[in-house]
Amino acid sequence: MNDIKVLKSIKPVYNKSLVLSRLGYDKYHTALSDEVMHEVERLIKDTENTLNITAAYRIIDITHINPPQIILEDGTTLSGQRLSDLLKDSRQVLIMAATGGPKIMELIAKKQEEGKMSQAVVIDAAASEITDSALDFVMAMVEQHLRPRGKFLTKMRFSPGYGDFDILQQKEFYRLLKAQDLGIMLNEACLLIPEKSVFAIAGIC
Amino acid sequence: MTKKEFKKLLQNRLILLDGGMGTLLQKAGMPNGVCPEKWAVLNSDLLRDTQRKYVEAGSDIIYTFTFGANPIKLSEYGISEETYTLNKTLAEIAREAAGGEALVAGDISSCGSLLHPFGSVMFDEAVEGFKKQIKGLLDGGVDLFTVETMMDLQEARAALIAIKESCDLPVMVTLTFEGQRTLMGSDPLSALVTLQSLGADAVGCNCSSGPAEMVDIIRTMKPYAKVPLIAKPNAGKPRLENGVTIFDMDSESFASYAEELVEAGVNALGGCCGTTPEYIKRVGEKAKSMKPIKAERKPYSLACSNRKTVEIHGTLPFTVIGERLNPTGKKLLKEALLKGDMDVVSDIARAQTDAGAILLDVNAGVPGIDEKETLKAMVNAVCNAVSAPILIDTSNPGALEAALRIYPGRAVVNSISGESEKLETLLPLAKKYGAMFVLLPVDDNGVPETAEERIEIIKRVYSKAKEVGFSKEDILVDGLVMTIASNPSGALETLKVISWCKKTYKINTTIGLSNVSFGLPSRESINTAFLAMAVANGLTTAILNPNNQQMMQSVKASDALVSRDKNGISYIEYFSGDNQEQGKISGKSEKAQESGLKSLYDAIINGDRTTAEDMARQALISGKSPKEIIDNEMIPAIQMVGDRYEQKQYFLPQLIRGAEAMEKAMAVLAPELERSSEEKIESKGTIVIATVKGDVHDIGKNILAMLLKNYGFNVIDLGKDVESGRIIDAAKANNANIIALSALMTTTMNQMPKVMSNMKSEKLNCYMMIGGAVVDRSFAESFGAYYSNDAYKAVKLAGELIKRNKNGG
Repeated sequence: MNDIKVLKSIKPVYNKSLVLSRLGYDKYHTALSDEVMHEVERLIKDTENTLNITAAYRIIDITHINPPQIILEDGTTLSGQRLSDLLKDSRQVLIMAATGGPKIMELIAKKQEEGKMSQAVVIDAAASEITDSALDFVMAMVEQHLRPRGKFLTKMRFSPGYGDFDILQQKEFYRLLKAQDLGIMLNEACLLIPEKSVFAIAGIC
Repeated sequence: MTKKEFKKLLQNRLILLDGGMGTLLQKAGMPNGVCPEKWAVLNSDLLRDTQRKYVEAGSDIIYTFTFGANPIKLSEYGISEETYTLNKTLAEIAREAAGGEALVAGDISSCGSLLHPFGSVMFDEAVEGFKKQIKGLLDGGVDLFTVETMMDLQEARAALIAIKESCDLPVMVTLTFEGQRTLMGSDPLSALVTLQSLGADAVGCNCSSGPAEMVDIIRTMKPYAKVPLIAKPNAGKPRLENGVTIFDMDSESFASYAEELVEAGVNALGGCCGTTPEYIKRVGEKAKSMKPIKAERKPYSLACSNRKTVEIHGTLPFTVIGERLNPTGKKLLKEALLKGDMDVVSDIARAQTDAGAILLDVNAGVPGIDEKETLKAMVNAVCNAVSAPILIDTSNPGALEAALRIYPGRAVVNSISGESEKLETLLPLAKKYGAMFVLLPVDDNGVPETAEERIEIIKRVYSKAKEVGFSKEDILVDGLVMTIASNPSGALETLKVISWCKKTYKINTTIGLSNVSFGLPSRESINTAFLAMAVANGLTTAILNPNNQQMMQSVKASDALVSRDKNGISYIEYFSGDNQEQGKISGKSEKAQESGLKSLYDAIINGDRTTAEDMARQALISGKSPKEIIDNEMIPAIQMVGDRYEQKQYFLPQLIRGAEAMEKAMAVLAPELERSSEEKIESKGTIVIATVKGDVHDIGKNILAMLLKNYGFNVIDLGKDVESGRIIDAAKANNANIIALSALMTTTMNQMPKVMSNMKSEKLNCYMMIGGAVVDRSFAESFGAYYSNDAYKAVKLAGELIKRNKNGG
């Protein structure tokens, strides 16, 4: 069960209203003209067409949980109190990554260079939302394989940098998922490049 | 069991299937981490007893416990070489459990990996893997097959093709839907159309949701179903209680949906995860005496991709088939295909569907190219880019089969003529893969001149097609368009064929429209006139250029004229868009002729960049000074934009659009400001802005820099990943009032106090403002900085700090 599975060019289902929420849209107060709405819709579509989402995942047995430490089968130690709480009933973890590829960052940079900041910000928000939805896709897919075996995933997932789950632990994810093969780089500050890339972990109960 | 016997069985009465197995075996002691199929063989008595309980509960069909017994999945346990033996043994155990009282279905499910191009498993690799499993199940004596819990329609196709290429036993196929889509995006109708055309003997849904959600899926499928329908829901949703998985529906509430599912149209009903023999028994008590409903099914012409179904019919709006993915005469596409550049193919596909194409013709005919591989790559690219179904345009049988095999929907073969060789080779291929086809009325004697001759060929080809199982709704007749430049009566003959197809033969039609004007000047005039005539004669589809606006206007107008566009709704929508655009343009020029100031205010508030530029220009022409324009109109406007943003009437893009409009107007006024010594606009203060060292996220910082500029500050933007020393030097050199820093990561935020420390040691008389996802007010205050949580608040904060600075605070 230790193989890394890679999914390419996936098109996750996502919630458009969450893209608007990321931009500060408030359904009770914000009034959008047809023109603005039309432009936002067009930019979201451009984002869909420019993103090339690759996702990867692997399942690893948990050897031991001694909060806040979680020790995995291969000796990897992760640390986080809330993560320990999340995984308390789990025997395995699902480690996953998603990246939107380099082209989307080029498009965002190009829009900014052209002085089209309002467009850049919409594309940026849509790209974040859609890339994040790729992890929902991975979880739904894995859960579908688990369910007939009487297992399921924790409803939540955590990413390094969330609460006390230190961002430096991106290094462990990077190694476990061989993220360099997905076109992701990790800089010295543990930032993922391309920027629209994300790691996460969920438990398998 | 034959397919005929199976169909009869499911039509006569409601068939009970079995329920969940995995959870039952776990309860019986199957440990975590083992290969369930291998464990079941080693504990065959337990498996047999559990399956027997389903027979005793009333199951008419039980599934073999071979859900994951395909070689790809078994390789995860290092036992793929046991595929045949495991499947054969597990089929034999199921037969013993059935004891002649129930049928045994050989169970096949996902190989656990997505198929190419999304995953690493190639389509034929999956087919071959399933065939190994199928061989074991056949030798173990199964009566029929079931392909279940498939998330990907393409993988379900691979399993179905593997079974069809191995035997003639009936096959049931069920997908798992999350709401009204599978995880890979297939809707219930596209799944049904694809699978029943490909030869599934029953189609439906299992797992994922409870019975209530499945009622809608079955209702969606029923009117279009040529085959019986199946539902095998979970016992609701799972949750963990004291380390044990519990499903939220008991047998009574689960069975209470049985009647509703039968009324919605199921012919076979069972259970999936969380269900037990007790659940099946209850379902039987509720519904076994019920007879499946027999829905009135009209002869629908349905083509589909894996995500969208299209119905073609003479009473529905005209179906435009995009012609642009044919390299003949298209240099750019030809070169892209030769280089294998499929991005161009994706772009052309998107451009055509955006312009209104419903189906796309795909042709890889470039001299010297590997047509088979190119066509496959094109099909993959189109499927990934758009949801429109496709016509596979080739007469090369090898290329056609390769493309049909991997196409994850129901394609249309373009075309099959009356030529003996074409009929013999292409017709069986179209049938095998469940495709529709374009009937080209040409035979071994060549292209017939007259409509009468063409009609004879149409009748002959249809008769052959009927013999292998096609119906009229599976066919589009090509009216055969010849250029009127060489054959003046050619267009009239085509119209006669179309009219006969519509009125007499009642079959759908298509044409390759632009051929009619070949060799003539002003081809669009001929093309659009002919299209309107053909639509009036009953033409249902045409292969044309949807990016030609005149052509699409003609399609919309023709539809409205022959009442295929009911009440002209589509026509009005199409043209009202244009009118609005025209109105906007003329409105703008009228506004530009006015004195301008009030409109410049509006343009900034509305974020209308072009109008803002025009209005600023007009304002100057009207004699206003730049300072007057800025003070009286632009600043109040940008303040209003900010107020609306604060009150959440505007969201972030509107705030920025306002600033962009301001920037455009300011660019118009700038040269005048430069020229006038009295008209200098005083800067509100100087701000050095940067994203700290190590951090490459800069869009937030860029937004703030832009807003600050347009709210009147002098901004020195140092960019991203900036060393502390550079920030301090820039602040010194520009006598900055504020240093504004951004950081998005916990690993980079600690750069901020370092900059503050350097600022103090250099005795700079300025403030520091910080922002970014990971920082907050208490962090800022811990080292003497100021914080704001959004860009507009940061602009206001900058104003306050500078005021304080100037007052010596």
